[in-house]
Amino acid sequence: MLLPKFEYIEPTTLEEALRLLSDMGGNARVIAGGTDLLVRMKLKIEKPSHLISLRKVPGLNQVIKRETHGVSIGPAVTAADLARNEFIRDKFAPVATAAGKLGAPVIRNRATIGGNLVNARPAADFPPACMVFDAILKLKSTTNEREILVGQFFRGPGETIIEPNELLVGIFMETPAPWTGGSYIKLGARKALEISMVNVAVMLTLQEPLGPIVDVKIALGAVAPTPVRAFAAEQYLMGRHPSEKVFSEAGAIGVGMCNPITDHRGTMEYRCLMIETLTSRALNQAYQNALDWKP
Amino acid sequence: MKKIIRLTVNGEPLEAAVAQNQTLVQFLREDLGLTGTKHGCGLGDCGACTVILDGKAVNSCLVLAIQANGSEVLTIEGLAENGKLHPLQQAFVDKGAIQCGFCTPGMILSAKALLEEKPNPTELEIRTALSGNLCRCTGYQKIVEAIDEAAKVMTGREES
Repeated sequence: MLLPKFEYIEPTTLEEALRLLSDMGGNARVIAGGTDLLVRMKLKIEKPSHLISLRKVPGLNQVIKRETHGVSIGPAVTAADLARNEFIRDKFAPVATAAGKLGAPVIRNRATIGGNLVNARPAADFPPACMVFDAILKLKSTTNEREILVGQFFRGPGETIIEPNELLVGIFMETPAPWTGGSYIKLGARKALEISMVNVAVMLTLQEPLGPIVDVKIALGAVAPTPVRAFAAEQYLMGRHPSEKVFSEAGAIGVGMCNPITDHRGTMEYRCLMIETLTSRALNQAYQNALDWKP
Repeated sequence: MKKIIRLTVNGEPLEAAVAQNQTLVQFLREDLGLTGTKHGCGLGDCGACTVILDGKAVNSCLVLAIQANGSEVLTIEGLAENGKLHPLQQAFVDKGAIQCGFCTPGMILSAKALLEEKPNPTELEIRTALSGNLCRCTGYQKIVEAIDEAAKVMTGREES
């Protein structure tokens, strides 16, 4: 499988990378891990004239605990590094779990969270996990800097609100409140090297271990043109005490938010059944996780 | 236009001119003649092209040769020392984990990367580490046993 011809550039500063993006217009693509981009180029779906590598741009591949609160994840952090990062595993479990289920180990050593978000495939692993934490995405260009809520980032399959001259430079998430637990479930025909048939991320906060639910976010992927939040199910759960019955009901409500298609991975009917089952299962897991919360 | 890269392959530093759209697997096989690394699907779905790049197992079909500038690459050819097979290679032979052999270099390198991180992996950890490497012949059982065997040898729990 041959790659088309292109010119490969390795800027050494963020400013240089942004200037290149600006100058090249829509003909350049940013390359980080390359596990999606190079595949698309080999399949002749994309033929950029230039590849702007992030390899030598400093400051993009770290996970930084912020002084005040929360975490700042560079776009070039690999899925493998996120899956094993202790702080992410502890406080942002859905992100670590999603990272650990992306592709396969050899892919995870190259694939990046930034690439996964910007490529915006409906079945992508990171978007729902980031959505349940209301992650803020920082986009930068030579002339502008803006922050977007991850839930407003996606527009359609492969489409986001990012401009051709913009680079995703950071992903910020606030540390969740005490007694918060999270989960991520990925359903596919096999357990690895798989693209989701349905995936679901949940973040759930209890008032205290025996108390009611005071915050909950549910995000689903592969069931609509973009990853979606199950707002109606979330509203139903607020203030209720956790139980199998309550989680089951939330699952049933969650189906209403979704608009899955029938494709070679699964039928619409099966996906709807799975949304219901997996949502309630993920809620249960997040609840168990919340009970184990430690400061 | 070709670009010059400097990298270390199997412990040997070298300098080469590569096309910008040349993948690492093409460079290893076609320019260096190291055909132990196989080209399977070319899309990161089979793992036949697995090499260890700066300590991490990667699909070399999805790495540009130019991205390996300044890096260390370990291929299957770099495992044996002075003609003696690496314990992983020996275990694969001893356990009958090789049939057609096409997946073997990738399997062994993924296993090597695993054992560097987890010298005593469980069966689940072994299978997870191999989940990006496909085998059409063996059904994986012997491969898993071979890696388990190699782990024992390498941690000195058993004579090879």
